[in-house]
Amino acid sequence: MVYSLFLWRKGFRRDDYVNYSILLAAFGLHTTAMVLRGFSLNHCPVTNLYEATTFAMWSIVAVYLVVGLWPRLRFLGAFASPVLFGIGVFALMPNLDAGRGARLGAPLAWTSVHAALMALSYGAFGLSSIAALMYLTQEHNLKLHKIKALFALLPPIQRLEFVVGRLLVSGFILLTIGLVIGAYDLTRLDHPHAYRGDPKIVWSGLVWLIYLGLIVMRWKFAQGGRRFALGAIGSFAFVLLTFWGTNVLSPLHNP
Amino acid sequence: MPLVVIGLSHHSSPVTVRERFAFAEARVPDALEVLRTSHIVEEAVILSTCNRVEIYAVTSLAPPAAFDSLRHFLVTCHDYRDPITDEIYSFSEPQSLHHLFKVACGLDSMVLGETEILGQLKKAYELALQHGHTGGRLNKAFQRAFNVAKQIRTETNIQRGSVSIGSVAVELAEKIFSRLADRDVMVIGAGDTSEKTARALLSRGARSILVTNRSYDKAVALAKDLGGRAIQFDEWTQEFQNIDIVISSTSAPHYILDRAKLEPVMKMRRNRPLLLVDIAVPRDIEPEINFMENVFLYNIDDLQSIAEDYLKQRQQEVARCEQIIREKAAGLLAPVPRPQGGQARPAFGGR
Repeated sequence: MVYSLFLWRKGFRRDDYVNYSILLAAFGLHTTAMVLRGFSLNHCPVTNLYEATTFAMWSIVAVYLVVGLWPRLRFLGAFASPVLFGIGVFALMPNLDAGRGARLGAPLAWTSVHAALMALSYGAFGLSSIAALMYLTQEHNLKLHKIKALFALLPPIQRLEFVVGRLLVSGFILLTIGLVIGAYDLTRLDHPHAYRGDPKIVWSGLVWLIYLGLIVMRWKFAQGGRRFALGAIGSFAFVLLTFWGTNVLSPLHNP
Repeated sequence: MPLVVIGLSHHSSPVTVRERFAFAEARVPDALEVLRTSHIVEEAVILSTCNRVEIYAVTSLAPPAAFDSLRHFLVTCHDYRDPITDEIYSFSEPQSLHHLFKVACGLDSMVLGETEILGQLKKAYELALQHGHTGGRLNKAFQRAFNVAKQIRTETNIQRGSVSIGSVAVELAEKIFSRLADRDVMVIGAGDTSEKTARALLSRGARSILVTNRSYDKAVALAKDLGGRAIQFDEWTQEFQNIDIVISSTSAPHYILDRAKLEPVMKMRRNRPLLLVDIAVPRDIEPEINFMENVFLYNIDDLQSIAEDYLKQRQQEVARCEQIIREKAAGLLAPVPRPQGGQARPAFGGR
């Protein structure tokens, strides 16, 4: 996070690789911590709010590390770091790492894959909304003829829009696969129909529809630009604001 | 032996006088040879550009005598018979070093902070070096000048941003489009500024240029010059859907492009970003268009304002640059004490 502040001051064209390396190192440590926790608990550590939050952070970094292999996209790290820091501080709030609910008897491996894919998809959506925020900032400066548009050293808006789109689509694919696996996982339970109206399932379906709508809007109806960026940000804000609440209300995810 | 400078620049003389003293590149080695064999100077570099002609020299003569001889050399070399008053300036140390460093950094250029002069100075130095007309003092001075230019470029904003309308337009295009190499440009109206802007875009890699003008012959001539294609004036709207950047400078008294005309075109373009540069007065493009999604419209005042902001930034950096130059020149001129109590000699040593 500290190095990101340095990049904010010096300009994002320089020294991105240092930020990338720091995030890579942090990712390594975080992965190790999660693996150790998983082994100690005997399952994938995504069963309470603390674990879900840190997993979401982990997935944002994972997506960034893949995207950041392209030097022209490495600037995203300078924007992702402060967001990750904020989420990390949130994760450390008291009582988030409370006891885990009873497991419902679904096969653990598929549940873990489902949770991991869902978290990865949120990571991609999160990173896409960060890029969308950068797009809106730069677009605003260009529209109003502010010299900040040239000074700020943000990437071209066309590249930012491209990144938003690709991350959104990647997140949507991961979300779709995660939901399919979750649906399959559900069929292995004793009374799957009891969970038909589960808040988290309904919510996940809604999120899927929202992002499908965004993708159709962008590619079928050529509604890119500011509207698309606002859509990406608004959708992820919806996810962020409602994820934890629906998780708590869901007897399937929080028995 | 002091380092001296004598010459003319756009600050001291008009182009009608400067051009009389210009040295063709092929003549420079001979001129340097004459200077050295006449024993006016021990080492010399001649810098001749469109905005200045200067001789940097190390001489064993006292500066006033050296200046008289060098002035005489310039006048006789170019057979200049008109009277000269203060068109020719001259400096001795430390001002000569300050001047050299300022020239290298672009602080003395017509466009403050321009970078072309550094390349020209390096070329002039290398030419003199190749022909054996430099020695220890000039080599040190010029190497230090190049280092100072690099330091100033890194540590200050003196060279940051664009101060011409064409370059500002290119910078804006680079903030909108990922790659200029995939962009097609249309020039509406074959004016001087639009030509310069189009050239600037081409030099940064724009893919193709379409030129249209009320006079088709002018469009053809400009298109040929730019390596593009000319189209009839009433056909330009049909080509619009393939265009990414438009430079407009017609003499039309009304808007040639308004929102009603552009909306269907944007639909056909699937709302790809479009940069419109309107440098006409009165304006060619309806200002309302700037509110359209993915359309970015800049008029002449917007571009000028950005260029002036950049220039102001550069001007704010001048004092800082001059401070660095003074420090570096002082460092070069400061005596270096010999070990074991021997007599100090200037760091800026001779051969």
